[in-house]
Amino acid sequence: MIVTGKCLSRRTLLRGVGTAIALPMLDAMIPACAAPSRVKAGKMPVRLSVAYVPNGMVMDNWTPKSVGTDFEFTPILRPLEPFREQMMVLSGLALHNGNELGDGGGDHARAGGSFLTGVHPRKTMGADIHNGISVDQVAAQAIGGETRFPSIELGCDDMRTTGNCDTGYSCAYTNSLAWRTPTTPLPPENNPRAVFERLFGSLDTNLDPAARAELTVERKSVLDYVNERTAKLVGKLGPADRHKIDEYLFAIREIEKRIERAEQDSLELTPTIEKPDGIPIAYADHVKLMYDLQVIAFQADLTRVSTLIYAREASPKTYPEIGVPDGHHPISHHRNDPVNLAKLSKINVFHAELFSHFIAKLAATPDGDGTLLDHSMVLYGSGLSDSNRHIHENLPILVLGRGDGSLKPGRHIKYEKETPLTNLFLTLLDRMGVHPETLGDSNGKLEHLTDL
Amino acid sequence: MNSKPQTGKFAAQRWFAPLIVLITFLVLPLLFNAWQASGQGRETNTFAGSVQPFLAKNCYGCHNSSLKSGGLDLQSFKSAASVAEFRETWEKILKKVEAGEMPPPAMPRPDEVQLRAATSWIEGEFKRLDAHVKPDPGRVTARRLNRDEYNNTIRDLTGVDFQPANDFPQDDSGYGFDNNGDVLSLSPVLMEKYLAAAEKVARLAVFGHEQLKPTMVRHQPTLRRRLEKAGPPVTIPPQYTLTNYDFTGLGQPSALHFKHFFPADGEYSFRMTTYRNRPRGSDPVEMALWVDGKVAKTVQLDQIEPEGETREVRTTVPAGERWVAVSFLRQFDGLPASYGGLNPSTRPVPAAPARGGGGGGLQPPPNATPEELAQLQKRAAAAAGRSRQAEPADAIVLNWVEVVGPFEYAKGPSDESRRKIMICGHAPGAHNAACARKIMSNLARRAYRRPVTAPEVDRLVELVADTQKRGHSLEDGVSLALEALLVSPDFLFRVERDPDNLAPGASHPISQYELATRLSYFLWSSMPDDELLHLADQGALRGPAVLDAQVRRMLKDPKSKALVDNFGGQWLQFRNLESVKPDLDAFPDFEDYLRMSMQQETEMFFANIIHEDRSILDFIDGKYTFLNERLATLYHIPGVKGPEFRKVELSGDERSGVLTQASILTVSSYANRTSPVLRGKWILENILNTPPPPPPPNVPALEASASDATVSLRQMLEKHRANAVCASCHSRMDPLGFALENYDAIGAWRTQDGNVQIDSTGTLPSGKSFHGPQELKAILRSQSGQFTECMTEKLLTYAIGRGVEPYDQKTVKTIAGQVEANQYRFSALVLEIVKSLPFQMRRADRGKT
Repeated sequence: MIVTGKCLSRRTLLRGVGTAIALPMLDAMIPACAAPSRVKAGKMPVRLSVAYVPNGMVMDNWTPKSVGTDFEFTPILRPLEPFREQMMVLSGLALHNGNELGDGGGDHARAGGSFLTGVHPRKTMGADIHNGISVDQVAAQAIGGETRFPSIELGCDDMRTTGNCDTGYSCAYTNSLAWRTPTTPLPPENNPRAVFERLFGSLDTNLDPAARAELTVERKSVLDYVNERTAKLVGKLGPADRHKIDEYLFAIREIEKRIERAEQDSLELTPTIEKPDGIPIAYADHVKLMYDLQVIAFQADLTRVSTLIYAREASPKTYPEIGVPDGHHPISHHRNDPVNLAKLSKINVFHAELFSHFIAKLAATPDGDGTLLDHSMVLYGSGLSDSNRHIHENLPILVLGRGDGSLKPGRHIKYEKETPLTNLFLTLLDRMGVHPETLGDSNGKLEHLTDL
Repeated sequence: MNSKPQTGKFAAQRWFAPLIVLITFLVLPLLFNAWQASGQGRETNTFAGSVQPFLAKNCYGCHNSSLKSGGLDLQSFKSAASVAEFRETWEKILKKVEAGEMPPPAMPRPDEVQLRAATSWIEGEFKRLDAHVKPDPGRVTARRLNRDEYNNTIRDLTGVDFQPANDFPQDDSGYGFDNNGDVLSLSPVLMEKYLAAAEKVARLAVFGHEQLKPTMVRHQPTLRRRLEKAGPPVTIPPQYTLTNYDFTGLGQPSALHFKHFFPADGEYSFRMTTYRNRPRGSDPVEMALWVDGKVAKTVQLDQIEPEGETREVRTTVPAGERWVAVSFLRQFDGLPASYGGLNPSTRPVPAAPARGGGGGGLQPPPNATPEELAQLQKRAAAAAGRSRQAEPADAIVLNWVEVVGPFEYAKGPSDESRRKIMICGHAPGAHNAACARKIMSNLARRAYRRPVTAPEVDRLVELVADTQKRGHSLEDGVSLALEALLVSPDFLFRVERDPDNLAPGASHPISQYELATRLSYFLWSSMPDDELLHLADQGALRGPAVLDAQVRRMLKDPKSKALVDNFGGQWLQFRNLESVKPDLDAFPDFEDYLRMSMQQETEMFFANIIHEDRSILDFIDGKYTFLNERLATLYHIPGVKGPEFRKVELSGDERSGVLTQASILTVSSYANRTSPVLRGKWILENILNTPPPPPPPNVPALEASASDATVSLRQMLEKHRANAVCASCHSRMDPLGFALENYDAIGAWRTQDGNVQIDSTGTLPSGKSFHGPQELKAILRSQSGQFTECMTEKLLTYAIGRGVEPYDQKTVKTIAGQVEANQYRFSALVLEIVKSLPFQMRRADRGKT
């Protein structure tokens, strides 16, 4: 299957996976998706994207010394220098609920688990996982109805973990950044091919209209059947079982809504990259491909909310390709040893370079009267600053893009100690027209983002 | 209040005195009763009398209300009632004090008599509490099929072994396993995948592959020493010579190994691309394609310099996951005579090809500056130097292999699918009206793992009929109805129902069908087969003889491999082998062949314990294992030739049991070195069931990296243990890990680490000391009860899909006792679990009216 400018039917959305696979290697992405016409003139939608890197940061090589518009680019931030005018370095923000608060060890699980929720994840191996609703899902639940996918969740870990993920915590906290409800994490998709198929279906363009109509009837009858079965089941269940079936029911509803939206909107999609074969062998290629997929999803307005996990919190991933054969997590407990710090910095820089790939793509993609970057808010950061001592304060946080134009980037802003990271989230949600009163441990909105 | 006489306020005391007398008078009869109930001597041994003072003297220094070291505030335990309330904490306290881990070694030892008094009171209290505990089977939350269970269930239900779940998002795990009902969630993304998979599976089962377009997947080594590195590459593995080496080439660094899933029986093309060259003047070399350890095709590489050449071969491969390898056969034969290899080439050694342009080397451009000329001369000299240098004998490697296909494949549904679905018993196409009902009731019963009601079948038959009304065939209708079955909650979830009119919180035996389902997902990670369902129909599954026979039958069935992969892979953590990436500068020997061989060894070892019903103590020190040549060379065990795995009896002290298998040693190491801490922790968690608590906050992990080569790891860790807080756990972890220091980070035996002599001696907190791995295993074996309880708890967690709770402790101990009485046989462990309360029964929901 090589996509050559052929348009996709909106009804092919749910067609089965994997019947056709692209043969050649991936090409660079050419931005060419038809911009959706339904967007109201003059007002482009604001997109929210979050990228999470695990195991903290070498803060000495991250934080610029000076604040304001004249801040200098430190070694880790340097790959982002071309985007100075679109970038905010936010220092001093804290993830209070990542701290132990009487729960003992497990700072990595809490760093990842609470990063977007601002809630202290319940310490449990599994029986009763409990977190908060993450900022991306707050946005998705408010504005997700306008796009086919309320949100997409991506990851670049291709391994299964076994055992416990961090002392006493279920793997659910480190595997997922996005939480739809306090008990329902949304695990990320790691395989670029699967992401592609989700966004574009598997392109059964050769179906004639009659066959497509038949397919629609069939799917509807399957969903009807499923709804009946669920209704029969639900009445007989206790609360825990009931909760599981509710998740199921919610998922079915989401799919029905999506089919409806696909029938209503007039999007004709042309993917501008070929369908990926699977997970690329080189990690850098994997991350870039995931970013490319986010760009086309934003560009075609298939979704306005995305999250990406570089690697799960406490990831022991090794980076021999950049001269760091040590595991990321072990080396992040650097004991201030200069050799370890140098290696950790290399990983930090490497991740930032991959991030700049994404930003460059967003900046190069026209969107309405500007670029995608102009209309996006891209958060980049970690739930730990110094992983060595498990510090959840003064986190490494960047926001790129101008939101709807009201953000005033190009600065390094230092906030008072213990300013909740969730205050930033409230402000970002504000830009999207979503106004929850609080989020996690927030105690107000973050100042100075929209003024100089 | 009478325990606090130090108020010094005389008036107050005088005021209190009558009250004290009154209280004593009232309480005494109660105490007397307690004394009678709990046996003699309890009246002198009380919480306030012996436990509290003991804690105050020995423990409050750190575990007090302000410091709360390790998150533990012992001062908050003010009465005996706290034991019942915080049972788990008290279990831990008891374990640590009895093992001598607490107080930490650097602190003064408690008085032995006081210690005994305190621990015996706590033990007595546990017993007293347990005698009153109502047996509680617990309640398992509805379990969604996880990825492995989904794949297997689809295979057994429809005869389609397509592994559709490999594309699903990863399942979260809880309590160490990914089949935990509470943790398995269902996201909209996953639901989309269920829908897509159901559509595909149903078509495949009813019609076979309709349009299986060839796909291409490229396999490259997941790890390979960077080829562009300066100096000659690693040539021959140290144990080989140019004339005595692995002629199959499979163990050579040049080979490529991978697992590939073939979607259908069919013809596939393999495109094999080389990198770099054989030494000039060599004879042609043969490349071999191996499928599951057998040569499927060979092809000759006759180019003088085959760098970047692609050779394509086609062969038929049966559907399923296969171990594919490509290697050079007799790679060091046919080299130029100067190499001294076997069967040297008789070809003339051609002159080095010119580099950098036309015939006579480097031509300077007409108007080159003197600097440019000097530059060119320098480059020419360097090139000449390179060509004089002997090329390494094994410079050529497989760069990648692309698997393309299938091209020709079996059309129509498989016999297996036809047998499982189209049960009407006649030729295809000759269906009558009754067929739809017959087919759908059979399918629904098996998909839902229980009898189905007439209305349930009616609804499915209606789906078939509606499809036919729209002008499609009965097969189309069956396919659609099957699709609906595969996404319905009854299929995707294993829901167990409370019988009607049950009192809240009351226990009840699960139904025969629920039991059949628990059994099959426990031992097969799949749906119950016809025999189990049939026994459930008859209500016969619970009979002890029947249950016994069924468990034995199921363990013998090849499907029990799922127990090895899913339970074993997560308990022993060898699943993590898939993603380990040892540092190739430190371990140039490591490649995918070794990785895959390591995993195979432990899987076969585990499977053998199941199939031969051996003692579970073999996990600790079974004196046999399963090796191929690659692994045998790592272990320095002679006489194992070729890629096939075979059983090998072990002698000597280097290897026995799983602790000294390369798989376990590798997953419990860092990428570039061993970690006694990680290995010690691994043993504590998975063999002894006494996981260490997390390090306290703000204590840096001392041994994140061995940066100082002059200090041994042992010395660094000893320094670490000088800190009492660190010592409390590290005195347990580190010695266990030190016993395994003779194995490097990929499991090879060593006597030195860099310049430091390995010292594998150690002393456990119990005072037992050992020298080397074999003596440690002897100690572990002598604690067979502890290991048995550990494995029982792990297997029970896996079997019932929930965490083991305090009320399960009695069950765990009973099972472990029975296993011990049955010579530790694996079947005894499984049988006792299957017969146990939490497996057979279920607590009704408390919230239900």
